[in-house]
Amino acid sequence: MRRGTVGICLLLAALLAACGAPSPTDSAAGGSEDATEAATSEEATSEEASEEGSDAGESESTAELSGEPIPLGVAVAQTGNVALLGQEQVIGAEIAEAFFNERGGVNGRPIDVLLQDTAGDEAGASNAFNTLINQNEVVGIVGPTLSQQAFAASPIADRAGVPVLGPSNTAAGIPEIGDYVARVSAPVSVVAPNAVEVALEQDPEIESVSVAFAQNDAFSTSETGTFQETVTELGLTLNPVQTFQTTDTDFTSQASTIISQNPQLVIISGLAADGGNLVRQLRELGYTGLIIGGNGLNTANVFTVCGLLCDGVIIAQAYSPELDSDINAEFVEAYTAGQDRNPPQFSAQAFAGVQVFVEALIAVDDEQGLDSLELPALRTALNEAILAGEYDTPLGQISFTEEGEVNQEQFYVAQIEMEDEQTGSFTFVR
Amino acid sequence: MEALLGALNPYGFLIVSCVLAALLALSLYLPLMAGQLSLASPGFYAFGGYVAAVLSTRVFPPESGEPFSVGLLLAEMAVAGLLSALLAVLIGLPVLRLQGIYLALATIAFVEILRVLSLNLAITGGAVGIFGIPQPFGTQLSYLWVAGPLFVATCAFVYRLEKVRVGRAFTAIREDELAAASMGIVTTRSKLLAFTLGGSLAGIVGALAAHFINTWNARQGTFDASILYLAFVLIGGSRTWLGPVVGGLVLTAVPELLRGSAEVGALPAWLGDFLQDGRLIIFGVLLAVGCVFFPQGLITPELLARLSRGRGPRAEIAVEEAPPPAAVGSAPTGTGAGRDGP
Amino acid sequence: MFQNLLNGLAIGSVYAIFALGYTLVFSILRVINFAHGAVFTVGAYLTYVLTGSSFGFNGLLRGQSLPFGLPFPVALLLGAVLAGLVGVVIERLAFAPLRRRGADTLLTLVSSLGVAVALVNILQYLVGAEPYRYPSTALGALPTAINFGSAAAPVPIRTVQIVIFAVSMVIVALLTYFIRGTRTGKALRAVSEDATTAQLLGIDTDRLILYSFFLSGFLGAVAGSLVGLSVSVAGPYFGLAFGLKGLAVIVLGGLGDIPGAVVAGLLIGLAEAFVPGQYVAYRDAVAFVVLFGVLLVRPQGLLGRAQVQKV
Repeated sequence: MRRGTVGICLLLAALLAACGAPSPTDSAAGGSEDATEAATSEEATSEEASEEGSDAGESESTAELSGEPIPLGVAVAQTGNVALLGQEQVIGAEIAEAFFNERGGVNGRPIDVLLQDTAGDEAGASNAFNTLINQNEVVGIVGPTLSQQAFAASPIADRAGVPVLGPSNTAAGIPEIGDYVARVSAPVSVVAPNAVEVALEQDPEIESVSVAFAQNDAFSTSETGTFQETVTELGLTLNPVQTFQTTDTDFTSQASTIISQNPQLVIISGLAADGGNLVRQLRELGYTGLIIGGNGLNTANVFTVCGLLCDGVIIAQAYSPELDSDINAEFVEAYTAGQDRNPPQFSAQAFAGVQVFVEALIAVDDEQGLDSLELPALRTALNEAILAGEYDTPLGQISFTEEGEVNQEQFYVAQIEMEDEQTGSFTFVR
Repeated sequence: MEALLGALNPYGFLIVSCVLAALLALSLYLPLMAGQLSLASPGFYAFGGYVAAVLSTRVFPPESGEPFSVGLLLAEMAVAGLLSALLAVLIGLPVLRLQGIYLALATIAFVEILRVLSLNLAITGGAVGIFGIPQPFGTQLSYLWVAGPLFVATCAFVYRLEKVRVGRAFTAIREDELAAASMGIVTTRSKLLAFTLGGSLAGIVGALAAHFINTWNARQGTFDASILYLAFVLIGGSRTWLGPVVGGLVLTAVPELLRGSAEVGALPAWLGDFLQDGRLIIFGVLLAVGCVFFPQGLITPELLARLSRGRGPRAEIAVEEAPPPAAVGSAPTGTGAGRDGP
Repeated sequence: MFQNLLNGLAIGSVYAIFALGYTLVFSILRVINFAHGAVFTVGAYLTYVLTGSSFGFNGLLRGQSLPFGLPFPVALLLGAVLAGLVGVVIERLAFAPLRRRGADTLLTLVSSLGVAVALVNILQYLVGAEPYRYPSTALGALPTAINFGSAAAPVPIRTVQIVIFAVSMVIVALLTYFIRGTRTGKALRAVSEDATTAQLLGIDTDRLILYSFFLSGFLGAVAGSLVGLSVSVAGPYFGLAFGLKGLAVIVLGGLGDIPGAVVAGLLIGLAEAFVPGQYVAYRDAVAFVVLFGVLLVRPQGLLGRAQVQKV
């Protein structure tokens, strides 16, 4: 069996070629463009080519920056369906990296945002976290995209003593995962009810409400709980709840059941691909009432799924580009310079996540000096600094509770307005 | 020693994953020894994982801050193995009457049904799954304390099995079931035994994996996983226990290592990325090519015999013991083309 | 009740249209072509490209699109022809060498599985895993849904689902006529009975097998595009998910039986639609419970004949 021997030799050769252990990723100061910044996906079920956005990860050529770049991990979904949400986070994080390095980084040291793709499921998030913590030796992580992934992966960071900031984890129970886990995204219990109130303002005749949610997603399950509570508290009739999976595409049964319930309002908690699809199929079947979308549909990427039929969907927001503050103005300017629309919530939250890390790092450096700390001690000190600080972010003034929950005051509601099949915008109605 | 452990630590996750993959490949290999193409391993893997997850989060949760006791972990694995064996017997009895492709289809159906059940039952945490499974060890590499001995024990077991009467009965059934039956081998019993061994092993691995991965849900046991294990066995070698082991270890490790080497610069970046991201492309091509050119996989008994030929009298016995090279292209239930009864 | 019935037919006709190409190959070659799910997906993407639409933000071809755009029906047919060619290539690569060696059907099954996995992942590498939607002008001026009930108690069914149902009926009629009525069809049946004898009688078996793979790929692509129109092209794996349920369909209908595939598809669709409200989450399991049951009780399916095992 000569072929067998050849095969084994090939495999051995490949193994030998791979024998060099990957070297630490920190490169010398000025111009961090490591291959490690290229997005990598580990999940066996979703592989992708490199994110083009990684080019934007170069720090600006600044004369003021010197010293070792500080590695900060960003683990969000860059491939798969969840990338519809994660892609905006990538943009936000990269804008933040350039933004803060331009303004002197951490007392002169640049930050180095290292992207790791979590793909759409828990194993991908765990892999990404493990890589960032062990191989890239980051000081902290912004991520993951989904609460479902956070329940699986954030404990890993907590056990390793690495601070994690959830940029978009809004389910109940996230900050309680551990001492090192916090979030900049306000929980659904606070954000969601606003949308229902706006819907009532637009149609005071609403009596019966139908609800559908993705039962295999922790965030959707949490969000629908809040929505259902709000509906009953407001005295409206809640019809039998419909369930689906985030992987579903055919919503014939759910949509036709909802139509037969004859509601004036439909509330959907899911992710962008499935939620958008449900919206589309509902509209195609002839539903003309109001639709509220949960945070999972809160992305312009949902336009590719439901097109013109997305028009009118109401989605509560934790961020508004119209907020009048210096940092927000600068953020909006930086965002619109690269994209041709206003920044969405997911980007703003990712930006805020990186911002909190930068400002906390500055605080630690001012107090103790970063160079005097070993990595584990640095991570712990960073975690304490994060929870103690107050930050003026594009989201508004935020701070954290002891648990790691975010304190935020301003919330908004937007409504989708479609111009044509592909173009639309989120118009703020409150 | 410290330095070695320190150097290996970042690879802890990978090393343990490779070992678990090899074990799962073996769990597919066991029924295959008896000529059964059973794709049911992911189902038992998921089942075992749920057993461990439920036991460790609902029934015996540790005090907060305390690590989970290793003794309890081993007990869970034993329970998972036992329950999986029971489940395997339950499923196997009706299903093993089927042959060839019908058996494969039935096992696929079983895995899917189990998956949908686990998506919906409250005890499995529904579709969201079970989180926060307690950890017996501080680092991922330390799981090798349990995975390692399990691996060695299983390899030794399968190696022995191939030489003992029971194992030879499996081989006889694989070569020609009718002939084996007419020689007095109780085929249903043997096939059931092989199936149960495979299912039980998968369940034990699942229990360990639940702790290792720390979260468990319906995504852990799917048809995609069956394809992966199938690739391990078919590419590694379907005629000897060493085949699935090598297949599992190598096919899990190589893409990761290659990605690491891409970062070093030993390979051009696009090639490294492709070998990682395009891993499934490579798997698929290898699977198809392997079926045509290496129907028995890379590691075959003939190869092993040749490698040990230069070692004296024992080698001669080894050569004689190696089963005669089966007809090219003949697959597990092969008695030539055209057998396709239910 | 009536809504459930119509829903069942709508869902079922999707399964039926998928199963047709699946069972066609089995009826000729007695192998399950797992690559059918991949060709189904490839067909959907080809049609997408031919309508001039562009790709998303991941994958090698991000942002690319063809410089022209065809109307949906034309794109559908052209895409299906191309997918048929893909089917032929698959046959040459994965099936022909094994057939020449007289390999076991299981090996061919696994080989086709390998091709399916490779193909789907190549697709993902090229265009990413995000969902894509056909231009909504695809069905032209047709209303989006047709109401089979009254204004007070509406029973709407989306037009695209009606189209799928109609197309599957037409295809099954054409196929059955083709296989029973034409010479080539009879030659195909001869090949499926006994390829060697057919060859001895002067039938060019290789050519016929190529035709059937082309046809199967064509049908698969039509199915994929229509389903993609209905529910959006959910990603490179969406064909494989159908592939699994498709197995249940073709086994229920009798492996190799073409009208059986359609009947079985509709039946499983109806079974899924009539799952009572509180068990809706178990709907996915229906097809597999059916598959399991059929394999144990009556493996030849509803319309198949019992296979006699030759010793």
